[in-house]
Amino acid sequence: MIWEVFRQAKPGKYHQHCGNVHAPDREMAKLFAQIQHGRRMQTNSLWVVPQEEVSEVDSDEAAFGGATDKAYRWAMTYNRVDASFAAEVEESEEEQREAAKAQEEA
Amino acid sequence: MDIEEVKERAGPRAFSPKDDLPEEYRKAATRMIQFHANSEVMGGYLDKQFTRQAPSLDRKLACTAKVQDEIGHAQLLYRAAETLGVKTREEMLDELEAGEGKFLNCFHYPVDSWYEAPMIDFFVDGGAMRRQATLKATSWEPYAHAMDKVCFEEGFHVKHGEDILRELMGSSRANQEKVQKTFDVWWPRIVQFFGPPNKDSKHNDFAQQVGLKTVSNDELRQAFLNAYIPKAEKYGLELPEVPKIEYDERSERYELEYDDLDWEEFWTIAKNDFQGSDEQIGSRRKRHEAVAWVRESMDAWETSQRAPQAAD
Amino acid sequence: MTPLEELLFRLADDEYVIAERYTEWQIYAPTIESDLALANIAQDEFGHARLWYDVLEERGYEEKDLLWERDPEDFRHSTLCELAFEEGDWADPVVRSYLYDTAERLRLEALVDSSEPAIAGRVGKLLSEENYHREHAQSWLERLAEGNESHHRVQAALDRLFPHALSIFEPGEQEKEIVSQGLRTESLDDLREEWFEITIPYLESLGLSVPEPEEVARPDARGRDGSHTADWFDLHESFTATYHELGFDQPTRLRGEGA
Repeated sequence: MIWEVFRQAKPGKYHQHCGNVHAPDREMAKLFAQIQHGRRMQTNSLWVVPQEEVSEVDSDEAAFGGATDKAYRWAMTYNRVDASFAAEVEESEEEQREAAKAQEEA
Repeated sequence: MDIEEVKERAGPRAFSPKDDLPEEYRKAATRMIQFHANSEVMGGYLDKQFTRQAPSLDRKLACTAKVQDEIGHAQLLYRAAETLGVKTREEMLDELEAGEGKFLNCFHYPVDSWYEAPMIDFFVDGGAMRRQATLKATSWEPYAHAMDKVCFEEGFHVKHGEDILRELMGSSRANQEKVQKTFDVWWPRIVQFFGPPNKDSKHNDFAQQVGLKTVSNDELRQAFLNAYIPKAEKYGLELPEVPKIEYDERSERYELEYDDLDWEEFWTIAKNDFQGSDEQIGSRRKRHEAVAWVRESMDAWETSQRAPQAAD
Repeated sequence: MTPLEELLFRLADDEYVIAERYTEWQIYAPTIESDLALANIAQDEFGHARLWYDVLEERGYEEKDLLWERDPEDFRHSTLCELAFEEGDWADPVVRSYLYDTAERLRLEALVDSSEPAIAGRVGKLLSEENYHREHAQSWLERLAEGNESHHRVQAALDRLFPHALSIFEPGEQEKEIVSQGLRTESLDDLREEWFEITIPYLESLGLSVPEPEEVARPDARGRDGSHTADWFDLHESFTATYHELGFDQPTRLRGEGA
C-alpha cells in the first residue's frame, strides 16, 4: 500500500507534499515516513495519507480559474487608483501580480 | 499547557491543533475567529445588492467576484475556528441565525444605494484589511493561514472600492453631493469599526497577552485614519464635523475625540439589539432556513454513502 | 438586424440574463461551498455574455446600447433564463442549469465551425468552462433525486421549467439565414432533437417524469421574439435603475491586457 507524505518544516508553516512510502498499515507508514522524508530536511511534523484516499482533479479535466478574461478580480486591473497608500494593499497587489503571471504562463 | 505558559510562549503562529491548550485560550480564539467569520457572511448581505446595481458589466463582474471572495473567506475562517474544537461550523451558523452570533458593527446597518458601495468596499474593507494584515501574526496557526489567503485577495477588494469612489467623485455634482451625504452617515460607523478605545475594551488585553491579537484597537484605528483620511480628501470628501478629528503636526497623527461617537448605539449593536441587527439577522435566518431542506437532504445522502463501509 | 446580430443577441442575452438570476443565490445558497460554486457559474456566464457582446461592439454597438439603454422588449433571451426564483427553491437553479447547459453545449458545438471567425474563435473558451456547469448540475440532480422531499422539489422545478426551456430552440426571424450562411452549422430543430435525446432519458433514469414536448402547455411568451414574462420586466427595471440614476458618460471597462 502506498502512503502520501506531507512535511511541515517549522511550526506555523504549511504541510507540503514531499513524497510517499510503501507500508502495510498506518503505523508502519508513519515509521517509514519519518526516516525517508524527515531525516535530512528540517521537519516539525508529517502527515501520512493513504494514496487511494487522495482525490485528484487536474488541468486536463478542469479549467482552473476559468478560460475567459477575469481581470476584474485582480488588483492590478484597477490602475486608475494607487495602492501605495497602504502597505497591506500594495503587498496584496504584488502577490496578485505574481499569481496572475504564473496562471497566465501555465 | 496552562495559561501562564501560553502567555510565555505566545508569538506569531505559535499554537496549532496539536497543542494542548487551556479552555480559556480556545474559547477566546473561537470567539474572535467566529466573530470574524460571521462578519464575512453578514458583510455579504450588504454587498450583495451592489451586483444587481452595478452600472457596467465589468463592475457587475467585480462585485459578484468580490462577494464570492468574502464567502470564501467565511469558509476559511469557520474552518480555522473549528480547529479549536469548541464549536462546529454548523453550531456557529445556527448561533448566527438565532441572533447569538456577533459580527462587525458596520454590517448591522442595511444599505440601499450604489453611493454606499465605496463606504463598504473601500473604507470598511480597507479597515478590515488593515486589521487582517496584522492577524497574519496571530498565535493560532490555522487563523494565520486563513489570513495569508484572505490578505492575498483583499487588495482587489480595496482597489475595486476605491475605483468606485473615484468614478463617483469624478462624475456629476449631484453624484458628488450624494456621496458626501452618504459619507457623513457612514464615517462615524467606520471610525467605530475598530471597537471602543483600548481603555473600554473587554477582550483586548487577554487576546493580546496570548498573542491572538498583535495590535491594539487604538493603534489599528490610528493606522487606518492616517491612510484613509488623505484618500477621502483626495477625492474631495469632507470629514463630518462630528466626531472631531484633528491632525497634530507634531505627532503626525489624527487625534480623535472618542466621546463624540455614539457608543450607546455601538454597545446596542454589540448585543445584536439594534433595529438594523433585527433586519440583517432576520434576513439571514429567513434565507438560511429556506434552504435547510437541501442541507438535510445532503446529510441523508452522506449517511447513505457511509453506511456500507460502516457495516464492514 | 442582420442574421449575425440576431444570433449574437440570442447567445449574449441568454448568458447575461441567466447569470443575473444566478447571482440572486449569492449568500443564500444552502452551504458555503455550494454558494461559491454557483457564484462561479454566474461569473462564467456573465463572461460568456461579455464575449458575445464584444463581437457586437466590434460591429459598432456600444455597451450602453447592448444592455443599459436597450428596451426590455428588444432582449432575445429564452424565457427559461429570466424566471424569478422562489425563495429557498434550490431545485430550480439545479434543474434550470441542467436544461440550459445541456442545450448550451450543443449549440456551442454547432458554432465551432461557424463561417464567422469572431464566433468560431471564441467558442473554445466557452466550451472549456461549460463542462463544469454540466457536471455541477448533474451531480446535484443525481443526489437530490434520491431523497424524498428533494425528489418532489426537483420534479416540480422540472414541470415548471421545461416548457420555458423549449423556448431555447424557438426560431427568430433570421433562423434560415443563420443556417444557410453557415453562422451556425445546425438548425434549431436538429439541436432540439439532440437535446431531447440527451435530457429525456437522463432525467427519466433519475426517476423523474418529463413533460411530453409536443403536448405540454407552452407559455405565451417565447423570449426570442421579444415577448417575455413579467419577471423579466421587473428584473430589467431593477438592474438598470442605478445606471440611469448615476448618469455616467460611459460604462466602466475593466479588462486584462490579453482580453
